[in-house]
Amino acid sequence: MGLTPPFDWTGSVGTVTLGATAAEGGTRSVSYRIGGGTTLPLLPGGNPGHAPLVAFEICDDIKLWPAIALKACGNVTGDIAAWAKIAENTYQADVIRLYLTSTRQRNFSDFAKIKTTVRAVLDATTLPVIIEGSNEPAIDSEVFLACGEAGQGERLLLGTAEAGRYRSIAAAALAYNHGVIAQSPIDINLAKQLNILLREIGVPNNQIVIDPYTGTLGYGFEYSFSAMERIRFAALKGDADLAMPMICSAIDSLNIKEVRDANPAGQDRMAISWECYAGIAAAAAGAEIVCVRHPGSVALLKDTFSHLTPKSGGA
Amino acid sequence: MALKALDIYKILPKKNCKECGDPTCLTFAMKLAAGKGDINLCPYLDEQAKNVLGASTRPPIRLVKIGVGERVLPVGEEFVLYRHDKTFYHPPGILFGVKDTLPESGITSIVKRVRAERVTRVGMDLALNGIAVTNDSGSPGTFANAVAVVEKNADLPLILMSQDTGALAAALVHCGTYRPLIHAATPGNFREMCALAKQHGCPLAITVQGVDNLAVLADACVKEGVADLVLDPAPANLHEYVPVATAIRELAITRTAPDLGYPIFLDATRYFPEDAAIVLGIVKYASVIVTSPLSPAAVTSALTLRQNIYTDPQKPIQMNPGIYRIGNPGKEAPVFMTVNFSLTYFTLEGYLESTRTPCFMLLVDTEGLSVLTAVASGKLNETIVRDSIKKFNLESEVSHRKLIIPGYASPLSGRIEEQTGWKVLVGPRDAAEVGEFIEQVWKKEKPGTT
Repeated sequence: MGLTPPFDWTGSVGTVTLGATAAEGGTRSVSYRIGGGTTLPLLPGGNPGHAPLVAFEICDDIKLWPAIALKACGNVTGDIAAWAKIAENTYQADVIRLYLTSTRQRNFSDFAKIKTTVRAVLDATTLPVIIEGSNEPAIDSEVFLACGEAGQGERLLLGTAEAGRYRSIAAAALAYNHGVIAQSPIDINLAKQLNILLREIGVPNNQIVIDPYTGTLGYGFEYSFSAMERIRFAALKGDADLAMPMICSAIDSLNIKEVRDANPAGQDRMAISWECYAGIAAAAAGAEIVCVRHPGSVALLKDTFSHLTPKSGGA
Repeated sequence: MALKALDIYKILPKKNCKECGDPTCLTFAMKLAAGKGDINLCPYLDEQAKNVLGASTRPPIRLVKIGVGERVLPVGEEFVLYRHDKTFYHPPGILFGVKDTLPESGITSIVKRVRAERVTRVGMDLALNGIAVTNDSGSPGTFANAVAVVEKNADLPLILMSQDTGALAAALVHCGTYRPLIHAATPGNFREMCALAKQHGCPLAITVQGVDNLAVLADACVKEGVADLVLDPAPANLHEYVPVATAIRELAITRTAPDLGYPIFLDATRYFPEDAAIVLGIVKYASVIVTSPLSPAAVTSALTLRQNIYTDPQKPIQMNPGIYRIGNPGKEAPVFMTVNFSLTYFTLEGYLESTRTPCFMLLVDTEGLSVLTAVASGKLNETIVRDSIKKFNLESEVSHRKLIIPGYASPLSGRIEEQTGWKVLVGPRDAAEVGEFIEQVWKKEKPGTT
């Protein structure tokens, strides 16, 4: 019939490949090609590869991890390999995101341990892996080279590059052919600027995933939502420097008052709800990878995303 | 297409008579151009001029009011596809569905929840909006009784959901004067439904598959004399909701299809996961959302998401600069300096609370910029820190002279020390690490040293 929305897109979102199967030189059971949308998210053609992916976040030093997530995961949290395994087999995540929180202690220097940890996770899971390294310029170089080398051939996604510190991550990604997460503080112009900086030192667009920084629901989420919508709109209007897929992780979701102080009987439900409402909204704004820390959130998000993309036609 | 203010001005009488309530014809024209004026307020226009202006100056999506009185629910009157283009104006109503087959006690307890539940966030009370009674029994008498029970318990906006005009007529006896939304007219029954809506002065939801059919049905209802319409595109599957809602919104705001210029209705109970339907309704253009009686977790999340999305993005949310207390800090308590961007404030506040260490937060005015952007743009600098310490009289709050600054502000540490004479401790970049910082760094600082 006659009435169709008068969109006039001239661009599309580029693609980034996450993970490498044996045929692609790695050992993952699956690889994902994210991005490629030619219109708004969740419209036909908006998510052509597949539904948004759900990444489960784990860490190698649980001191800074939210107590609610630790409680929900039980006794595997002390064993990074077991944690990764349960995230794949029981929680049914699409991706594992490993935070090397151990590197965030003052004066961290055990770089050999980084390699062992990354390797242990890659051996424990068959899923593609995202590695969050240090956030301290003084040790970035050694941390990211260790990650890059340990994951050689696996097409990891390394995070997080920021305007002030991106060279070490970019160097590791280029040397070992991994992707890079480029994070900017909820600002489309800063996102674009960082992508240009990365391009100038040789990182191609198909190795960059944008992280516009996700404020938690109720704590600035609306800024992130609009930053994502604007980035997606710019990509569709032909701005190649913003035409990368996006990752969303509302990392403070399980630390906020509403969740921490919830009635104990309903606390898990509150935690899941808080992560998922932000995660689903982010997918509607254009996020292609949504990260969570509560196992229950994986199930609800996977259910949701499977219902948001019709089985046939790939829309 | 919309007319520009000057084009409208040419058609106006240019008398500056103020009878429309605006000081001049030009300001009235600007209001009309923004879709916020009512052409009928000008007493000097002939019918032809009104017709020319009316079609292009009324809001592209009609304002429809459901219910009456204190808790009336106004929806629609939106202008943009993306909130960052301007803002979204009328948050969607979230109404709990009540089956008419429930016993009276069951209905009453749901109604009481909707009336009483409040979520307080950033100084605002957020609430659910009303009740949608569904005619699951198929019986007009049972439906009317259920509506009567709801009415007895609360004066909330109501939706009457039934395909049976007899059941609706029976229910309207109890609540017809309170402007409930009638759901829903179809191509098969719209004449009878329009007659009911007209008789009671109620808004009417219309439903049919396909946006073209919706436009045709809306036009037919307007011709029957019902102008307050709500569109239910009734997507068969959840994945069809965002495409159809986006199409309706885009066709309406561009005035490509003025017959689609009405608020959108979403019955989230039809879809699985229901939470997903609620989220998509909130972020993508629904104005009326019917849900099952939700868990407290879902209510809190949904109301918070709605508040976030309907916050005006033109105003960055800023905190008032000043001194904020966590717990009951004493003279020796640490002072964390940070910016007045609300996201930064709430994040740091949350982590500081969880450390159970009483302390002060000194918020300096960076015009709502985050630490990183404020440092980069120079809005956060040693002078503003010095002036804030003086202005908010921090020296009288604590006996020490030590200031903890955000990790990302570390390049400023030397200059802040010079300007303020306070010792600067560089805190973590990530607020999550603030507990460890207090243990590892602050507690090792000897009291009394400056």
